[in-house]
Amino acid sequence: MKTAAELKHGEKARISDINSDNPSYKRLIEIGFTPGQEIELVNTSVFDDPMAFSIRGTLIAIRRNEADCIILS
Amino acid sequence: MNIDVAKRIPLITLVGPPNSGKTTLFNYLSGKNFKTVNYPGSTVEYYTCKIQDKYNIEANLLDSPGIISLNPNSPDEEVTVNSLYNHPEFGVPDLVIATADSSQLSRHLLLTKQLLTAGFRVILVLTMRDLLEKKGLKVNTDKLSKLLRCDVVTVNGRTGVGIDDLILKIEKNLKGVTNNHFQPYTLSNELSKENLITLYSEIEDLTRAVIEPIETPDLEKINKELKILNPVLTEPSLQPDLFTLKLDRILLHRRYGLLFFFLIMTTMFTSIFWLADPFMTMVDDFFSYMAQTSSELLGNTWYSHLISDGLISGTGSVLVFLPQILILFLILGLLEDTGYLARGAMMIDKPLSKIGLNGKSFVPMLSGFACAIPAMLAARTISNKRERLLTIFIIPLMSCSARLPVYVLLVAFLTPSDKPWFGGILLASIYLFSIISSIIVASLINKFSKKLIKAEDNSSFILELPAYRIPKLKVVLKNSYINALHYIKRAGPIILLLSLIIWFLTYMPNHSPQIDATGLNQEEIIQLEKSERLATSYAAELGKFIQPIMAPLGMDWRIGVSLIAAFAAREVFVSSLALIFRVTDDENIQSSLLTAMQTATNQETGEPLFTTATVIGLVVFFVFALQCISTIAVSRKETGGWRIPILQLIIFTSTAYLFTLITVNGLRLLGIN
Repeated sequence: MKTAAELKHGEKARISDINSDNPSYKRLIEIGFTPGQEIELVNTSVFDDPMAFSIRGTLIAIRRNEADCIILS
Repeated sequence: MNIDVAKRIPLITLVGPPNSGKTTLFNYLSGKNFKTVNYPGSTVEYYTCKIQDKYNIEANLLDSPGIISLNPNSPDEEVTVNSLYNHPEFGVPDLVIATADSSQLSRHLLLTKQLLTAGFRVILVLTMRDLLEKKGLKVNTDKLSKLLRCDVVTVNGRTGVGIDDLILKIEKNLKGVTNNHFQPYTLSNELSKENLITLYSEIEDLTRAVIEPIETPDLEKINKELKILNPVLTEPSLQPDLFTLKLDRILLHRRYGLLFFFLIMTTMFTSIFWLADPFMTMVDDFFSYMAQTSSELLGNTWYSHLISDGLISGTGSVLVFLPQILILFLILGLLEDTGYLARGAMMIDKPLSKIGLNGKSFVPMLSGFACAIPAMLAARTISNKRERLLTIFIIPLMSCSARLPVYVLLVAFLTPSDKPWFGGILLASIYLFSIISSIIVASLINKFSKKLIKAEDNSSFILELPAYRIPKLKVVLKNSYINALHYIKRAGPIILLLSLIIWFLTYMPNHSPQIDATGLNQEEIIQLEKSERLATSYAAELGKFIQPIMAPLGMDWRIGVSLIAAFAAREVFVSSLALIFRVTDDENIQSSLLTAMQTATNQETGEPLFTTATVIGLVVFFVFALQCISTIAVSRKETGGWRIPILQLIIFTSTAYLFTLITVNGLRLLGIN
């Protein structure tokens, strides 16, 4: 089971589910990380965390542990 | 008489996700007649106004912080959601205007859909059509309006085109409003994971149906029409702004990103001090002139001293930092508007999270270098309570501008006259020292904070990185003005009151001291009287009372008095020293004061009072001590109790004392005196 935290720079993938174990899962959905959406890892911070994803035509930075609850298909 | 004749004015609430053009719309509708009010029972602010006269609609307009959904995630968001369901003052809005960025429709419609589900009467305002048009797309507003079953208007934030249409729609929607209030549904069920995902897929269908290619009257047209007939747009999933992606590759570069970050921050700090300096001198000169003039007019009486030294100088001490605060907010606003600040927060999130803070603590901490008060207000965007409280906790350690005059004096004392560059390095080192020590303190507090800061631990960092844009100077200027006004309103009265108390302590009870005036001119007599008064005042009594505490630091009661006086505002330290060491030369206080400091001896021990060791000790004291009543007052308001401000006062002031003690005696042991 691959998660968004494992994406490489420039790699695209489709979301299949959001793991509701992470306390931030609702906010992730609300901000647009929903099943079926394509995401691309466009940047990571100098310290490798947070990561910036391109989703729904915008860029959203989230922490690695949050990216880890975005399950990819 | 029928009291009901007095018709209630309808309430319109403006809501929208962050970066959806809400503020621009609010500015159009309000003109300049808005006021900032505290949300009853909380510290968060919102704006209210009457809709501009020229639009001929009598309605209250309410603007509050941006929200993503009706499920709040920070104190700011909570206020917005609460104000929709039942504003303590205005009740439930008669009409909600929801803004949405056209190029972010699938994300921004979530809120609108929730508002409609909850039963609100909604007008949807689409903004930033130009961004969508650049991608060759447009929104079919008629279709969207039919599908959503609410009015939809497109407004151009730059030109104002569409406002008139919006006004017509507002009029139409308010016509049906009666005084009988409806209660919107609470959305607890609709906010579950499954429902949110369903809602999003509905919105995706909706956006697919309403986003269309722009028809261009050339050869491409045929192709486009073919595409409409056989839509290739399976979904309007758009690419982020290409320029933004390119610029991010440089500014968020894995190696050079941090370099740019430090470069931008250094430029910012240098310009704050460099740009603000002449204005601060102007404010200072103005109040000195006013104080002098009023004292000349009123003569050598107690009320003359009260007005000139207490009231006018007190007001001056509030306003002298205004240029720095204005410039800081101007630069912060510009950085935010360009889109860089969000990137800064992202870059610094990891190291800050190590010490219990959040990337979002970055902006409040940065503001702390101008003044702790607006900085604490800026911490509200941090959704995690623990991280917000910890941010507020360490903000007083950021070297605020009030410390600068003190540092300047102390550094001047330590700098040999033939090596002026040494002073610059010293000042820079003090700032570096204060940053490093605040990081250490934050990590220590974080380590032991389970007891200090009681709050749930559920840290997150989810932040939209907006597309880079040329900032709108007008909006930035206005926001800086509002922030500066906040500072004056919040800090002003407290600082003024304290200045008056300090004046009383330093002036009374001996209001006509006996001095030997032979051979002195009028000015020198007044100065001598002033210092005599201070030497026999309640503050001096207090200073002598704390003499045993000052002695281990190698200092005597006179520095103690100045430190007490500095509780009103740190920079008062310099003027109290000048008073207590009888510096009579009004023209050049600094150099005369330095001479006085060099010759002063400790009244207890007879040794020189200001030595390299004691002066460095004083610097250390000012780095840590919480000597600002206004900060304590704001901290109480923002943390909702006395617990944190009292802890701050105790921890920072005792740390200051302890470190000063170690520094002074340590340096002495090393033979530096």
